[in-house]
Amino acid sequence: MSEAAAVPAPAVARATWWQRVGPLLGLALLCVVLAVASPHFLTLDNLLNVLRQSAINAVLALGQLVVIVTAGIDLSIGSIMGLTIVLLALMMRGGTPSLLACALTVLAGAAVGLLNGLLLTRLKLPHPFISTLGTMNVARGAALLLAAGVPISGLPAGFRAVVAGAAFGIPSPVIVAGGLYVVGHLFLTRTVWGRDLYAIGGNREAARLCGIPVDRRLNLAYALSGGTAGLAAVVMAARMNSGFPLAGSGAELDAIAAVIVGGASFFGGVGTAGGTLIGALIIGFLRNGLNLLDVSAYWQMIVIGAVIVAAVCIDVLRQRVGRDS
Amino acid sequence: MALYSASNRMTTQAAGPLLEVRGISKRFGAQAALRDVSLALAAGEVHAVAGENGAGKSTLMAILSGALRPDAGELRWEGRPVALGDVRAAQALGISMVHQEPQLVASLSVAENVGLGRLPARLGPLQVVDRGLLLDQARRALTLVRADLPPERRVGTLGVAERQLVAIARALHFGARLIILDEPTSSLSPAETESLFETLRALRGRGTAIVYISHRLEELRALADRVTVLRDGGVVTTAPLAETSNDALILAMSGRELATVDAARDERPAGDVVLEVRGLGRRGRLHEVSLDVRAGEIVGLAGLVGAGRSRALRTVFGADRADEGSVRVRTADRGWRSIGTLRDAIAAGVGLVPEDRRALGLVGTASVADNIGLVTPPGTRRFGLLRRGRLREFARRAVETLRIKTRSLDAPVWTLSGGNQQKCVLGRWVGPEARVLLLDEPTRGVDVGAKAEIHRHLRELARRGLAILVASSEMPELLALSDRIVVMRQGRLAGELARERATAPEVLRLATGTR
Repeated sequence: MSEAAAVPAPAVARATWWQRVGPLLGLALLCVVLAVASPHFLTLDNLLNVLRQSAINAVLALGQLVVIVTAGIDLSIGSIMGLTIVLLALMMRGGTPSLLACALTVLAGAAVGLLNGLLLTRLKLPHPFISTLGTMNVARGAALLLAAGVPISGLPAGFRAVVAGAAFGIPSPVIVAGGLYVVGHLFLTRTVWGRDLYAIGGNREAARLCGIPVDRRLNLAYALSGGTAGLAAVVMAARMNSGFPLAGSGAELDAIAAVIVGGASFFGGVGTAGGTLIGALIIGFLRNGLNLLDVSAYWQMIVIGAVIVAAVCIDVLRQRVGRDS
Repeated sequence: MALYSASNRMTTQAAGPLLEVRGISKRFGAQAALRDVSLALAAGEVHAVAGENGAGKSTLMAILSGALRPDAGELRWEGRPVALGDVRAAQALGISMVHQEPQLVASLSVAENVGLGRLPARLGPLQVVDRGLLLDQARRALTLVRADLPPERRVGTLGVAERQLVAIARALHFGARLIILDEPTSSLSPAETESLFETLRALRGRGTAIVYISHRLEELRALADRVTVLRDGGVVTTAPLAETSNDALILAMSGRELATVDAARDERPAGDVVLEVRGLGRRGRLHEVSLDVRAGEIVGLAGLVGAGRSRALRTVFGADRADEGSVRVRTADRGWRSIGTLRDAIAAGVGLVPEDRRALGLVGTASVADNIGLVTPPGTRRFGLLRRGRLREFARRAVETLRIKTRSLDAPVWTLSGGNQQKCVLGRWVGPEARVLLLDEPTRGVDVGAKAEIHRHLRELARRGLAILVASSEMPELLALSDRIVVMRQGRLAGELARERATAPEVLRLATGTR
């Protein structure tokens, strides 16, 4: 009997396989369709353009992944972006050296993220949906207050040239995002912290009984998510040449979409950096392709919404296959 | 309303039984939960159903209350055969069950809970609740159970005893003539218990039949007219309580054949004391638990459901915080270390295999290797980096030692059979640093072959010098494994039995508190 049980049912093997390969196949299929449909799609300029546009969402999505892996969610990242971009602009206008200002911006994002974590682990709020929803409004309000409701412009030209520029023909935001994904992948797969986050998302109580400091790890996850929002703010500031307090409005939704389309599970414990990167690219190419095909912005929203729902349906189906066997 | 039909009919009640159960059987997979059970329940009778954990009491009650369908057999209500399809059908007949933790809606009022599902409504299709009538009905039902509760009060503010009265009032409001109570006193104080008994006696006087499940013999004596003892899914005896001695009841519940010594049990030299528990307590749950476990020794932890076995293990492990007392472990380098938190315990070489491996033991989404390595054994981490090679080596050794059958170390753990999953949980704690192993129901939901195998591994681990403390509801398991058995009762140690004296009736005597 145990012999038979040790050999997984085909449905199970299929589910695991799809989890790994599904997003990549989706991306490939999308590219083929777009290449056939539009002659402008497969040009170097266009591809680099998509990558540049996807970079900010990809950075945010990686932080979101770290949280979703723990079976949580972070709705506040868009607002943290808005708050930190204003801070960055204020610091730079005040004469803070660019590099220092950028570092402080990322730290400020991490600090707000840590606050999210503490609300969850210390105040024992029932679900991160609540705590991060609160932070989402607080951070946005703080951003508008600090900036008196208007964009803060006049960032140093050197900062712009480096962060919004390019090296070896590759746009800087793409290099930043690419580097971050290498680090993120190593963090999730090679460190005790990363492994613990998966365990907490998979079964929080089992993780605790194995001696994993669950609260500390959750605080870390939300701090990292806030930190990536700060980093996204740096990239955004260079591109926009200003600190706009409404920057990143709604960005959390695209990030969550990228994570889920990339094969992570809302139920926690499942998801990879590679998958999330592919998810961010799928969202990016989809937007780009629909633009090239002259599909109206309204239809774009409908299509992307449908893709998100489809991805979650796949996640739920996968869970069901897992439970039944 | 149906409310008073029970009392009105009392005088006209015929002598025949109210509910007759004939030859009921029920299987779950390969396991026979009930075998050819027959009993008769008369109006105005308190009928006790007693038996050990797993004797089939819950299954029988689930069938009587309509929650389960029997595979074979017949139910007769006032002499007419009936098929109890579901709980509502049973309620319509007049059978209601009151659970151990009454299933009420905490945010609604007492009156609303009494009437829920049958709220009196006004204004036709608008279905506006007739509050006046509802309060009236609730008050009358509460009077029947002698509960002096304002019907407007929120149920969430009530204690367990009051909730039970509300649940009984609700049953009566729904016209119940047979009420099944499942261990209602397990979390009541003696005064509350006595008050509940008064109510039940009053209901009996009105002609209500009561089925009372409990394994506290003194309670059965105080309340019940007749008792039916179940063992291994079958009826051992049904007799008037007045004609049955406690000894006879205990013998009926435990059976005598279990006293045999397992041939596989062997002599192991007991070493030094490794685990020392002194005066461990947690308010309202655990009181003055003190025990020692020696290297190479397997100590069984016995007790009825709710006696505090799991709580004791979790508190020793540091997973639940203790209010008082101390736990010390002699570590590998022979020094004593105090255990305050779970991380202290793990660092000192203590491991816990929790009772519910799905909810508490395994990360279902992770692989076999990751599940075993979840404790990050010593030497597998360097500056926060996981040393994957060493981690896999640790997991591979556990898979070999415990003969875990898996396709590979990377297979998702949920693709394994129950027994092999359990071995993965055990595998975390059998590394070279292990000193103390705490196990809670180590073979629950595991097939017979795997059970024997796990027992063999535990003996082997003891021979290696581990101190092992096993809590189990299964008497044969405890008798087969343990060098001695510590019995718990209501959060306290009720006594200890050396291996020679450890027999099923003896354990049950301590667990039920009968002399």
